[in-house]
Order: sequence, then structure tokens, then C-alpha cells
Amino acid sequence: MRLRMDILFAGVLLSGTAMARVEPGLPVWDADERVALEEAGWVAGGLLLTDEPVPDVTEVEPEPEIKVAQPTAEEMAPDESESNEIPEAYWPVYFGERPESFLVDPQGLLSPVDFRDRQSFLEYHSGDSSIDLFIYVFRGDQELPGEVREEELVERFFSEGRPAAVVYYFLGSPQRSVIYLSPSLTDTVSAAEQRRALESSVMQAFEKVDPAGQIEAFLVQMSIRIYWMERMQEGGDGMNAALPAFSKAPEVKVDKDEAPGRLQVLLEQGRPYFSYAALFAGGLICAVGVQQWFRRKARYHFPEFDVEPRLGGDHAAGVGAVISFASASLPPASQRDQVPDYLRRA
Amino acid sequence: MEKFSTRFPQLFVAVYTGALGEVSNLRQFGFWLLNRSAFEDVPVETPNEAGILITIDPESKAAGIVFGYLLDPFLEEADTFECLSRAHAYWLEGRYAEGTIKLISHLEGILCKRSRRARRDPEHFQRKIMPPAMMGDLVRRIRAGHRDPEPVETQLEVRS
Repeated sequence: MRLRMDILFAGVLLSGTAMARVEPGLPVWDADERVALEEAGWVAGGLLLTDEPVPDVTEVEPEPEIKVAQPTAEEMAPDESESNEIPEAYWPVYFGERPESFLVDPQGLLSPVDFRDRQSFLEYHSGDSSIDLFIYVFRGDQELPGEVREEELVERFFSEGRPAAVVYYFLGSPQRSVIYLSPSLTDTVSAAEQRRALESSVMQAFEKVDPAGQIEAFLVQMSIRIYWMERMQEGGDGMNAALPAFSKAPEVKVDKDEAPGRLQVLLEQGRPYFSYAALFAGGLICAVGVQQWFRRKARYHFPEFDVEPRLGGDHAAGVGAVISFASASLPPASQRDQVPDYLRRA
Repeated sequence: MEKFSTRFPQLFVAVYTGALGEVSNLRQFGFWLLNRSAFEDVPVETPNEAGILITIDPESKAAGIVFGYLLDPFLEEADTFECLSRAHAYWLEGRYAEGTIKLISHLEGILCKRSRRARRDPEHFQRKIMPPAMMGDLVRRIRAGHRDPEPVETQLEVRS
């Protein structure tokens, strides 16, 4: 019984497998339906979904060349309106006169709020420092006109009045910024120091992402650097001046560099007392000098006592030391106590 | 040496350099020379008691100092030895003049201090040269000052 069941199960299994091996046939077009579709228009995939061979592509006849007029030289020339140069309308404000405010932005590149904030910061800086800071704001991709010579402009407009630092700042591209100093500063502040000030300001600007934040950071750092330029102008040390460049960067912790800064602060605090200290030191030196002079000029006397003559000597008793310098191996220390007893006082 | 005499108007310094020959004892030679010699460039009114004689024998390589009675209370043998020690290094190399200058310079310093102290406290130096007999008197006088006072007779009244 069991054998019959096994044979039956095997037969069913084999017949199922045989049925699964038969591939299903492709759909076949109904002739009428296809004709109707072709008459209506294009049949999607009509070329592929058919057993008929793909028809050869017929060669397309070249179309006749269209005659179009070539562009003229004027048309090929760059359009002035699309140039990156600063529009000529703003030239007088930028380059025609000494600016009346510390922030020069005739193009309105800064928002009113940012303009007001930056302007007030520059005014605050001017009140706190003897060196004014003028900022000319340009678009990041703008080019200065070729006719403009920046050094000549600075020399012309900033030779008189308070010393000034003039910065051409390109909004969104602080790395393009340029600094110029008025003639009264160029002698005391070296070009290297100017470059360092600009670089540190640009570094601070790059810590921000938005252009408004960049110019704010740039101005703060530049103000700090100008403070140290001011110190250099007063006769400070240039090396010390380079130190606070990274004062705003908290991650830079260099104790060795902070020491001269602290010393500088201490010197500043003690400056009012220098004159008193110098006066006191001078007085002390004079007193010591006078004392030495008096000592040198002093005369020394001894009281005369009656001394009993000894050894029959009328004038001296011979109580003195004797030393031998015959050999370096016999130092004075080994020659003490050589006075004979008969020469000592009773 | 002139400068020395200017600073110490009572005193003078003399230097003897030369081989002593048969005189073997440098100290005795100095003692004899200071007592017997007359120094030409020293004022007549300045006695030999105020002299300081430096004796240098380059042959036997020895040097000594002798001073007169005027300085007896103020200078010790140790002081003169200290002065000679200052010159020792120079004399070893045969630089006698430089060593002598060094010696006199150091001696000036010592004498300055002693002079100032003698002005403040002359008795300190006087006691040094006081003869033993006087010292005994002084001791007796001190002891006498500490004796108990003589008893005073007192009359006591006894009331009955």
C-alpha cells in the first residue's frame, strides 16, 4: 500500500516539473487591432514587440544650410553693463573726495542695519584711537577702475588731519581686501606689519560664513591691530605689536607669547611712576657718589697713646707678620701664626 | 704711597726691597731698620713711630711688615698677615710693584675702619696697651666698687 502511494507521489512531482519547464508564449498582435492603432498614429514599442525583422534606416537627405549673419565686432565686445567694474556713477563718492563718514558704501551693499552698526563701531574706534579707520565697501567680484591709483588717492585725501588706515573691503571676499596707511603712518608702520594686520583680520573674517558677519569680524580685528600700530607710532615694540593678532582666537594658547604682553601692560601701568623712580634712583646715585667722594677726601687720624717700648726699640717693636712667596704650594693660609712669642706683647 | 700719607697725615709707608744676605731673619731686619733708619722723603716732624715698613727680599722670596708704636694699639699681627696675603699672588709671579699696591690698598681699608672706631671708642684701644700693673689697679678699683657698703648704725626704740 505504502509502495503505491510513493509511486503516485513521484508521478505527480515529475508531471509538475515537466509542466514548469514549458516557456509561456509571447503576446501576438491581433491584426485588426494593430491596423487600427497604426492608422491612429504611432504604436509604442511597435518595432520591438514584433517578430518581424527591424527595417533598415533610410538615409536622411541633408537639409539645406541656413544662412545666418555672423556677429559683428561690436556685438562680440563685452557688454559694459555686465562688467565687474564699479559703475562710473559711484566713482565720485568712492574716489573723488575724502569721505565724510568712516564707512563708504554708496552702492548700498550693506543692509541699513549692518551699515548703521558698522558705522557706529568705526566711530567708536575713532574716539578710542588716534588712528581713524576708513572702510570702502565693494562687491566681492567688483574690480577697481583701471584709472584709479589707490596709493595716490590715499596720499591726496589723507595727508592732512588725523592719521588714518584706509581699507578697500570686498564684501563676501575678504581675502581681496587691501589696506593703505596715510603718509604719517607709513614711516613707523612697516609694510610687513600692515600685511600681518590684514592677514589676521582676513583670518578672523573667514571664521564667519555670512558676508555681514565677515565684515564685522574683520573690523574688530583690524581695530585691534590699529591699536598696536598706534603703540608702534608712539615708540612701542614691533615684536610685541604682533602678539595680540590672535587675541580673539581662544584656541591659541601660547603662554610664552602672553608674557611680553603682560610685561607691556605692567610697563604701561607703571609709566606714570617712571619719572619718580628715575628721580629717586638719580638721587640715590648722587648720594652714594657724594658719600664716596667724602670718603675719598676724608683724613684719618689716630689717637696717640703712650706705648711702653719693647726690646729696646725706640720707634717700633717689630710686631708684624712675615710671609714667604717662594712656592705656590705654600699658600698664605699655611703660614699663619709665625710670630715668635718673644715679640708678642706681655 | 703719597696718597696714603694724604689720607693718614700722621703715618707714612716705606718699602725696602733687596737681598738681606747674611741677615737671615726678615722680621729682625725690619725691626732694626725701622728703629735705626732715617727716611729722606719723610717730613722731619713725622717720627718713625708712625712708620709702616714693608720689607721684601726677592732672593729668599720673603716679605714682612713692621710698624711703629703709634699703630701698636690699632694693628694686629693678623692684620699685617692679611695684607701680605693680598700681595702673595703677585709676588709669586715677580710682580712686586703691583703686589705692594694691593697690600697698601688693603692696609688703607683696615686703618680707615680702625681710625673710625678709635674716634668712637678710644678706650677700647687704650686698654690694649695698658701695662699689667695698671690693669691690676683697674681690677682693684672695679672690685672696690662692688664691695658691700659699710653698715650704718641704727638705733631701735623698743616701746614697752
